[in-house]
Amino acid sequence: MPKLTVNGIEVEVQPGATVLQACEEAGFEIPRFCYHERLSIAGNCRMCMVEIKPGPPKPTASCAFPAGDNMEVFTDSEMVKKARHGVMEFLLINHPLDCPICDQGGECDLQDQAMAYGHHSSRYDENKRAVTNKNMGPLIETIMTRCIHCTRCVRFSTEVAGVDQMGLLNRGGEVEITTYLESALDSELSANVIDLCPVGALTSKPYAFTARSWELRKTESVDVMDAVGSNIRVDARGGEVMRVLPRLNEDVNEEWISDKTRFACDGLKRQRLDKPYVRGVDGKLAPASWDDAFAAIATKAKGLSGEKIAAIVGDLADAESMFALKQLMGALGASSIDCRQDGAKLDASCRAGYLFNSTIAGIEDADALLIVGSNPRWEAAVLNARIRKRWLAGNFPIGMVGAPVSASYDYDQLGAGPETLSQIADGSHAFAKVLDAAARPMIIVGQGALARADGAAVLATARAIAEKFGMIQPASSDAEGNEVPTWNGFNVLHTAASRVGGLDMGFVPGDGGRDTAGILEGAAKGEIELLYLLGTDEVATSGIGDKAFVIYQGHHGDQGAHHADVVLPGAAYTEKDGLYVNTEGRVQMGFRAVFPPGEAREDWKIVRALSDHLGHGLGYNTLGELRSALIATHPSFAELDEAPTAEWGAFGVSGEMSGDAFASPIENFYMTDPISRMSATMAECTETFVNAKAGRTGTEG
Amino acid sequence: MLETLLAHPYLAHPFVAGYVVPTVIIVVQILAIVVPLLVAVAYLTYAERKVIAGMQLRKGPNVVGPFGLLQPLADGLKLFAKETILPAGANKLLFLMAPMLTFILSLIAWAVIPFDQGLVLADINVGVLYLFAISSLGVYGVIMAGWASNSKYAFLGALRSAAQMVSYEVSIGFVIITVLLCVGSLNLTAIVEAQRTIWFAIPLLPMFVIFFVSTLAETNRTPFDLPEGESEIVAGYFVEYSSMAFALFFLGEYANMILMSGMTSILFLGGWLPPLDIAPFNWIPGPIWFFAKISLVLFCFLWVRATFPRYRYDQLMRLGWKVFLPFSLFWVALTAGVLVTFDLLPKA
Amino acid sequence: MAVLDRAAKSLLLAELVTGMALTLKYFFKPKVTVNYPYEKGPLSPRFRGEHALRRYPNGEERCIACKLCEAICPAQAITIEAEPRDDGSRRTTRYDIDMTKCIYCGFCQEACPVDAIVEGPNFEFATETREELYYDKAKLLSNGDRWEVEIAGNLERDAPYR
Repeated sequence: MPKLTVNGIEVEVQPGATVLQACEEAGFEIPRFCYHERLSIAGNCRMCMVEIKPGPPKPTASCAFPAGDNMEVFTDSEMVKKARHGVMEFLLINHPLDCPICDQGGECDLQDQAMAYGHHSSRYDENKRAVTNKNMGPLIETIMTRCIHCTRCVRFSTEVAGVDQMGLLNRGGEVEITTYLESALDSELSANVIDLCPVGALTSKPYAFTARSWELRKTESVDVMDAVGSNIRVDARGGEVMRVLPRLNEDVNEEWISDKTRFACDGLKRQRLDKPYVRGVDGKLAPASWDDAFAAIATKAKGLSGEKIAAIVGDLADAESMFALKQLMGALGASSIDCRQDGAKLDASCRAGYLFNSTIAGIEDADALLIVGSNPRWEAAVLNARIRKRWLAGNFPIGMVGAPVSASYDYDQLGAGPETLSQIADGSHAFAKVLDAAARPMIIVGQGALARADGAAVLATARAIAEKFGMIQPASSDAEGNEVPTWNGFNVLHTAASRVGGLDMGFVPGDGGRDTAGILEGAAKGEIELLYLLGTDEVATSGIGDKAFVIYQGHHGDQGAHHADVVLPGAAYTEKDGLYVNTEGRVQMGFRAVFPPGEAREDWKIVRALSDHLGHGLGYNTLGELRSALIATHPSFAELDEAPTAEWGAFGVSGEMSGDAFASPIENFYMTDPISRMSATMAECTETFVNAKAGRTGTEG
Repeated sequence: MLETLLAHPYLAHPFVAGYVVPTVIIVVQILAIVVPLLVAVAYLTYAERKVIAGMQLRKGPNVVGPFGLLQPLADGLKLFAKETILPAGANKLLFLMAPMLTFILSLIAWAVIPFDQGLVLADINVGVLYLFAISSLGVYGVIMAGWASNSKYAFLGALRSAAQMVSYEVSIGFVIITVLLCVGSLNLTAIVEAQRTIWFAIPLLPMFVIFFVSTLAETNRTPFDLPEGESEIVAGYFVEYSSMAFALFFLGEYANMILMSGMTSILFLGGWLPPLDIAPFNWIPGPIWFFAKISLVLFCFLWVRATFPRYRYDQLMRLGWKVFLPFSLFWVALTAGVLVTFDLLPKA
Repeated sequence: MAVLDRAAKSLLLAELVTGMALTLKYFFKPKVTVNYPYEKGPLSPRFRGEHALRRYPNGEERCIACKLCEAICPAQAITIEAEPRDDGSRRTTRYDIDMTKCIYCGFCQEACPVDAIVEGPNFEFATETREELYYDKAKLLSNGDRWEVEIAGNLERDAPYR
């Protein structure tokens, strides 16, 4: 533990820490461009110069200099000020003074630091250099003349995203950042370079020129595009969401978000349901008032027995509205409710059986990984970055059972389907030895392995593997008496933001109730007469419209709304306060950034209002009361922002597994839900990244 | 032709000769005073705007007619064309009587003003008392207007006006007494004649000043225009008045100004007398001198308005009761003492 | 002596006389009134009148949608919306000034990095309705075209002092 003084303040830092970290520890801000906490050290911007004694009589780049014992560091001496002035002047020699047209203007590191540490004017009279812009795909706008060559983007794409497509070309005054063969950056995390870029060289293409940072109303919220629950900041201007940025949460997303999270927000402006619709006698949906819509439902529901009523919730629902709907269904006597619209055979009875028990941060503690029927890169891009982070650290064998995927780490392709899983479970597979040797092995079971007829058997086999290879360890102490925390290496990777919340509150068929497949089957046969879809867009409802009365509550005119008899316009995730439970079981709170469009309302309010019309008024009038009721029945929702430890138990049903290979539930990362399906940016990404790889040519059509 | 007309036998009829003819003559005389007076009032407003504009480096009205000379007519026409508003809460009778009273009072005082030797409508021996009485009555118009309007601003303005007029009439009274001591008559013609040797403005200079200042207060002129006080009580007692009712107040006010200027001329500036009774001066007829002196005093009215800001109310009262009253009282005693001591009392 | 002096000044109304002498002096001075609208007083090159959006000599609009004027406007009278134009340059799609909110402080033209928004010398833009005072981009650009000669002259005359 080196001890040193910074400007006379004594600090003690971890061994291996840099002088810059020591200065931060002591509370002094060191200006920097190239240094970033989560990337390797480059030391090429020279902005972080400090004076160190004893040492050579020149300033030292603090980001790349290890802190040593008895060092004396000065961050505001004459030498340091002169060094910063000089570095800033050099940086600005070739940086264009186009701040007024630069999207980074107002939130630019270079701008801020030039104000704080720079000269008032330049002594450089010669022509500035110009650099041609590079193509980085539909998401990233490049204005390379502004680049100061900090190489943060290069390091990010290489280290975190795992795509070696960016690099620095040439030397000296000719140096340029470029992508390999001008190709778009092929990564689900690519747009994080926009945040990393300290200047306006890499900016957001869809957001280009549309707003200024000071105009935006910033709301801290939670992402629903996948089940990771990335922490985001929603920037809105007026009633419009302008952009989504990541928010720091070390336990979930560090400071990255996927491109879908970041750019799907333009889908919030298209195809929105902004007023209620009721299907008229002519078979067409016609705009109606809320009262008319509710009256139509009440007329239909009158005298209907519970077993003829069913409800399915979709992937983006918040916990409150699901809970309200569950209570309403309970009041109507309906037990056919399901939150697993993809038909995953998850067992709601044992919490450990459907959570990502290791936690996302816990991946870094694991030492072997078995992925079953999942493509983490597409199902949870940010979580995938965590796996890569662990893999980069070394000694992390990864086995994959399922379809081969393009991952950002090396893995062993063990097999395609359940038979490989059985082999591992009975120890006959080679990877079983790897798991055996590991102290803290983990298994990730994806929805591709569970959303199938034999899903329950797959789940049981995965549980058997977990138990067999010591993935479930209680807290203990090692030989030296140090405490070893509990370890649960059994993980289910969800793809839907609402799923864990739904399972936590038991939004699953009750006694005699049907599950999703049963409901759809019953509706097609006429055994279910009233079907309530809460944002359910991924089930095939086309065939049941004429047999059953379908109520769709959601925010987009997507598949679910098209076949509905009554459409109730709800709020998207940026338009309501709500609780979401991520795949770890972490309860997080999202906040409203803008109001829902037109007559659309927050979803729990719609269910609450409908309950009055159906004669089963729910007993809460505010979101606070609803949350109290939710927490009273399901205490797990009270623990905000904590990854819970779930009791291990029995789950899954042992049985025959078919020979079919596991397929990833996501075919196109960029379009998984109504919002991203409506997004023009995501459509462009699909064209660039998915269809191009699928071998389409420009002549197709 | 006129002679034949006058020789007409009808005129010889005792009733006609005794009543009708004098009445006609009096009416003609009244009109001969009132019509020029109203024209003078109109042009006083014009002069006021021009003088104040001049002192503020402006040009004043110069658009309507040559040099803006038709401006007063345009203003009058405008007021005439406006709607008369009767406030719902007002006492209608008093509300309408007040401007008439003010206007009538400002006109009837002119009956005793001598324009030249013998050129007077009613050469009564108590001319000064008559004038004093009429000018004191002026406060009734103001009070009636203020009370009848049923408006707090108007009421405040009226109260201020009443208190102010009462306060300054006291010192005006003493000033007049001083003059009367020197003249020995209440007849205005006699007062003017008494100034043949020297205008009273010179021996009684302090009294002249006090009298001028008091007339400012008596006519609610700046710096004593608290009854109007547009910046605090919007327009004081005539805030609720519009159109011709307002015009009557306006005419009355300005006619009063001219009347007070006339009184000042008569009491201190030798009325129609020339400054010196020598060749070029005494060629000019008396009424012209009188008119010139009135104009001079009126100019001073306007000049004062362009120069001084408004008094605070306590300052106004202090000036009236604590400065003017003792000072004029002292001066009455002094004048009387000097007159008696040096046996200068006028012989009746 | 001071008491006597003060008493004499007070009794002889010295202050009143001084004041009246001053006003009388002004009475005879030349008058400053001009015969508006046929005559107009001189305007400073810094005069802040009606707003205008200027163009470059080649006809390209100057405004680059940096939104600094919108940000600085203390009356929040300016509303700007921007997006990339077809040629990729940063341009406004909407540039509105609510002239009924504007307080004519001139901060917008101070903030403008390209001299696009200026307050020109025109002060005679009264309208019959409020709506006419909600200026849009077309109106502001046409103002710029109409007043360009005067505006450019004013900017040039003021340039040495900036």
